[in-house]
Amino acid sequence: MRPSFVHHLHPPTIPARQARLRYTLAAGGLAVFLCLVLLVTGLLEMFYYIPTPDQAAASIQTLSFLVPYGGLVRNLHYWAAQFLVVVTVVHLLRVVFTGAYAAPRRFNYLLGIGLLVFAILLDFTGYVLRWDEGVRWALVAGTNLAKSIPLAGNALYAMLVGGSEPGPATLIRFYAWHIFGLTLLAGTLLVWHLFRIRRDGGIAVPPPAKRETQERITRYELVRREVAAMLLASVALLILSAFAPAPLAEPITATASLSGTARAPWFFLWVQELLKLGSPFLWGVVVPLAVLTAVSLIPYAFPKPVEAELGRWFPKGNRLAQICIAALGLAILLLTVLALVPAQ
Amino acid sequence: MRRLIVIASALLLLTLLGIAWQEAHRVKPVALTPTLTGKVEYCLSCHGDLAQISKSHPVQTFGCVICHGGEPLALDKNLAHSTLRGGANPSDFSVVQASCGGSNCHSGTPESYSDHIQRATTSIQATYAGAIAVMRYAYGAQSGKGALFGVNAVQDSASTSGITSLGAFDPAAETNPQLQLFGQNCLTCHLSAQPMQNGGRYDHFTGCAACHTPTQSTDLTSVNTRTATSVHELTTAISYTQCDTCHNRGNYDLRTMTFIPRTDQPTDRLHDYYQPIGQFTTCEVALDCIDCHTRTEAMGDGSLYGSKYDIQYIQCQTCHGTLTQLPQTKTLTDPNDLAFRLAGLNPVVNLQLGDTILVTSKGEPLWNTKVLPDGTYELVGKATGQIFTFKPVMGSGCQQDPNDQSSASCHKCHSVQR
Repeated sequence: MRPSFVHHLHPPTIPARQARLRYTLAAGGLAVFLCLVLLVTGLLEMFYYIPTPDQAAASIQTLSFLVPYGGLVRNLHYWAAQFLVVVTVVHLLRVVFTGAYAAPRRFNYLLGIGLLVFAILLDFTGYVLRWDEGVRWALVAGTNLAKSIPLAGNALYAMLVGGSEPGPATLIRFYAWHIFGLTLLAGTLLVWHLFRIRRDGGIAVPPPAKRETQERITRYELVRREVAAMLLASVALLILSAFAPAPLAEPITATASLSGTARAPWFFLWVQELLKLGSPFLWGVVVPLAVLTAVSLIPYAFPKPVEAELGRWFPKGNRLAQICIAALGLAILLLTVLALVPAQ
Repeated sequence: MRRLIVIASALLLLTLLGIAWQEAHRVKPVALTPTLTGKVEYCLSCHGDLAQISKSHPVQTFGCVICHGGEPLALDKNLAHSTLRGGANPSDFSVVQASCGGSNCHSGTPESYSDHIQRATTSIQATYAGAIAVMRYAYGAQSGKGALFGVNAVQDSASTSGITSLGAFDPAAETNPQLQLFGQNCLTCHLSAQPMQNGGRYDHFTGCAACHTPTQSTDLTSVNTRTATSVHELTTAISYTQCDTCHNRGNYDLRTMTFIPRTDQPTDRLHDYYQPIGQFTTCEVALDCIDCHTRTEAMGDGSLYGSKYDIQYIQCQTCHGTLTQLPQTKTLTDPNDLAFRLAGLNPVVNLQLGDTILVTSKGEPLWNTKVLPDGTYELVGKATGQIFTFKPVMGSGCQQDPNDQSSASCHKCHSVQR
């Protein structure tokens, strides 16, 4: 039987044990699905969004309140974006906790890190596009962090902001990055990442001789599981979008307001908390980049699980790597929680 | 797995139906493009049943946002109201310039009679400069009775009174505890303060709306159900009940620096209008405050003053004249006369060119009066529409002392019993 295009994209069979939900958590697949949701809803939003400082927030209000189902499209886009960041991190943790980054998958692991970075950058640039009072200080703080970098800081700031302070040029640049630059780069990485999965031999699993079972599922069964997962994920996204609207504040005006709490978006709260410790360059640029580097070096620096241990959670062989990523993850989580606790 | 797909598809279908239901039950957007701004606003989607605020501010011309601020495109309550000026009252003096101002509106030139904001914010009802000066002098905080402070800091470079600025009075910065008490207990009756008690006969807004938004019903027999939050109205026909939200509410004791509210519960105008301790004539009770007190008395003339006696000048003789003089009059020959403009704002009279009206000693037109052909005079109540006819003092049997034109002197004979 000659498979359809969608079936053809999948390997003919995959090992049954590693195809289970309890192994993969469906994290990678959900990430791909969320990307598709973001592309479609983002495209629909482009029909209404206007990337100028005086019209951006108003155009989002028009979309959210006056366009039929406009609010739904915006909310879907918002929640899909936030869950993409969460799901990507879950996928990263899964890969490290199962030791699935070991050679020959080390390069694909780096591609995945790259995708996480792009997901976060896309989330941030999308956040700024609101151009409302809620994002004003996050934008100022974020771009000032770029300026704090010695030697290259001012040039980097000029490239990002397009002027001496955030203004119309900044908005149009963030818009260009969000809908084109970052999307194109992320899309390329995504396709490459998915290709490398096949090239590297599919899902990480011990060689046949060392496997506990030879059971496999067909591509048809795999696609059925993916369809079920996408349907359930759609239901969850729709219900969330129906009851929890995406945030929107009043448009940024010329006079700087001191209203409310100036806060980073949730995925940067840990950096906001670190910045309380001192030098913006050290704690806002160097330390986060060091964390990223440390995570990227896991496949190269730590011992890997033995072949027989692949395809299962918490193999003994890469215990050190598991502890390291767990510690980093808990630290970031703790910093995020601390940032949310009101100041005493 | 096939069964799970069927269940999941059913769930998805149900969710989509639910979302369609939610969409159908959303607030329907109601668009309004006011002719003054040309920018569409959707406030009427939720506020469509609100009464039009006044005939001079039709919603089709003004819309809502030009006065109130707010987000015109938002249908979410919190977002729509996030940029409202002054909360429910855009005429609060902290935001009045942005809401009611503009050279085509209420902060124009004195020559065009449109300098309302400049006059009201420097008026003694707003600054309270006289009371503050006298208190500070009495308790040794300043050596003279000249006004130095007002409720808010104000400037008036073109002042004709000699006072060009007032600082902001800060009771907490005063060293005499009596002055601090004064700030706490007595400074609740000025145009920037919230009323002393919630609801009841004290209820009024701040700013322009303190007088111009009628929060008090004139029917004294029933409980006043209008609250400051339920009234969306601007009027020039201001009844005495509105003035009485501050005036005539009680007395004060300077030693304890407390306000003693009046305790009587009058159900008729005669007993409600003034406190039981005073003596007043029929017209002081039958007329409303604005029937006599002029626009400069109530709203100021643009200059800063340190005492209410510098601006309050209406006397009985203004309308009734004296034994030797008839009241001053003016025959209206200029269609641009201020009298026509004022009469147009409150149409209880049909003023015509050639009519003769009474004027005050400063030349302010009493546009609701008329000199009748037989030499008597007529006054129409601005808030009630009641017609009163009266005669001048000259030629009557009045036994006044010509040198004492104060109202206390007239009260000796003409006060009403209650």
